[in-house]
Amino acid sequence: MQGIGADSEFSWIINLAFFAFIIIFSLYGAKFQIWQWLKQIEAGLIELKKMALESRETAIETFKRYGKGDEEVAKELDRWLDYFTIMPVDLDPAGILKRLDHLLDERRDRFQEFVTDLAPEASQAELQTLENTLEVTQVLSLVFRIVRHYYILGKKTNSQLIIMQVQMQLPDILLLAKAYFDSLDAFSEGKPIGDGIGPLVVTRFAREYGATPDSYITEISREVGYYPVEVEGRTVYALRATGPGGTVGKPGLAVKTLVEQNKGRIARIITVDAALKLEGEELGRVSEGTGAAIGDLGPEKHAMEQAATENNIGIEAIVIKENEAAAVGVMDKKILDAVPEVIERIRTAILKRTKPGDKIILAGIGNTIGIGL
Amino acid sequence: MGVISKLLGIVLVVGGGIMFFLGSSDQNMNIIYYFLGLTIMAMGFSLLTAGGKKEEKPNPPTVTEIACDNPECTFKEIRDFQKGDFILKSLETKCPKCQGSMTIQGVYMVREEEPVPTV
Ligand SMILES: [Zn+2]
Repeated sequence: MQGIGADSEFSWIINLAFFAFIIIFSLYGAKFQIWQWLKQIEAGLIELKKMALESRETAIETFKRYGKGDEEVAKELDRWLDYFTIMPVDLDPAGILKRLDHLLDERRDRFQEFVTDLAPEASQAELQTLENTLEVTQVLSLVFRIVRHYYILGKKTNSQLIIMQVQMQLPDILLLAKAYFDSLDAFSEGKPIGDGIGPLVVTRFAREYGATPDSYITEISREVGYYPVEVEGRTVYALRATGPGGTVGKPGLAVKTLVEQNKGRIARIITVDAALKLEGEELGRVSEGTGAAIGDLGPEKHAMEQAATENNIGIEAIVIKENEAAAVGVMDKKILDAVPEVIERIRTAILKRTKPGDKIILAGIGNTIGIGL
Repeated sequence: MGVISKLLGIVLVVGGGIMFFLGSSDQNMNIIYYFLGLTIMAMGFSLLTAGGKKEEKPNPPTVTEIACDNPECTFKEIRDFQKGDFILKSLETKCPKCQGSMTIQGVYMVREEEPVPTV
């Protein structure tokens, strides 16, 4: 029996190449893979950098309209891009929400101060919108810097673990960054976003029962107010943040205040908000459940739950399903079309679960950019 | 970098393909050509597909939907978004049909439909 290629004059070369090939790949296959992963991260990083830079440009262009010069805006903005908030210590959890609430208030104060300084000629609503623009720019800059950190760190330490993790998470990160990048168009122009469906539903509902922009009672808590309306013999406090500037306000605190002002007379709290949809679910689908529908870091939701529990008030939620891109991007037609159904469900909830003479809080949670009172 | 790796990818795919399909005149060498050709082709393909970028589609335009406040009147208008528009804004322009007041009822975008899942 002949060996492989034994009758060819140069067969030993091929043979050698074949075995060398196998040996090289079994020894350096992983290195080759890492190299490939790094290339993929690099491509993503370029994309992220592009988004971060372009959003910074947009922010500068937007701020420039309100009185300050190009250079000054750019300089101040760069100083602000890595503004951070240190989360409160959770080793001693007692009172952590209070501390977090305090920090978040302080953070908002600083943001407002900064925006007011940088855009002296902007109106109140425009200032809120500028604040949103600034936040998006910040997020994009942060995402870019974090991914870059792990990319460089992975390269430096040649750590397969670090590189693999970044490479695997990259598609998700890119999707999120893209959603925020697209939202900049909405924020810089003052267009309504998908997250604003809560306040919109509440206003539409209140208007059906005779509310007007003038009947809106402002500042029951920071940037939140309500329309008092009569619905089938019940008093409904239709609560939302003040628009059409971009703000979510402090709706949890507002609910708490309203409950305290009407001690023992509130019969039900209904919250309306946008919720993340599962892949495969329809955009703009309405669903309902129990609990406080609000996606803050904790203090607002806690205030609502606390007020409901202490006073034994039923609390229910009606949500409109959206994906990340639709929630922070310009309002989608499908989401807008869900409004009548949500209003119908609110009406059903009120008629079925409360009786005439009751007082009800209807809280529309979400960013009010582009949504008038 | 991109162009070089793409070119290298093409060369590898073609080279590997030739090795794979033509093989050797020598019966015994065929099996080596077969495996080698396959591996080289795979490398070439992975180079070609790495970092492939899709064409970016611009976002659809944002539109503003205006309707007459008079419930009897059916006047409705959809135009491009203008800065300063917001939902539920009362407009100064009068309804061309009944001279009533008009309000912005919607500011939105019609995004491409997500593919319907088959399961
Ligand atoms: Zn009309």
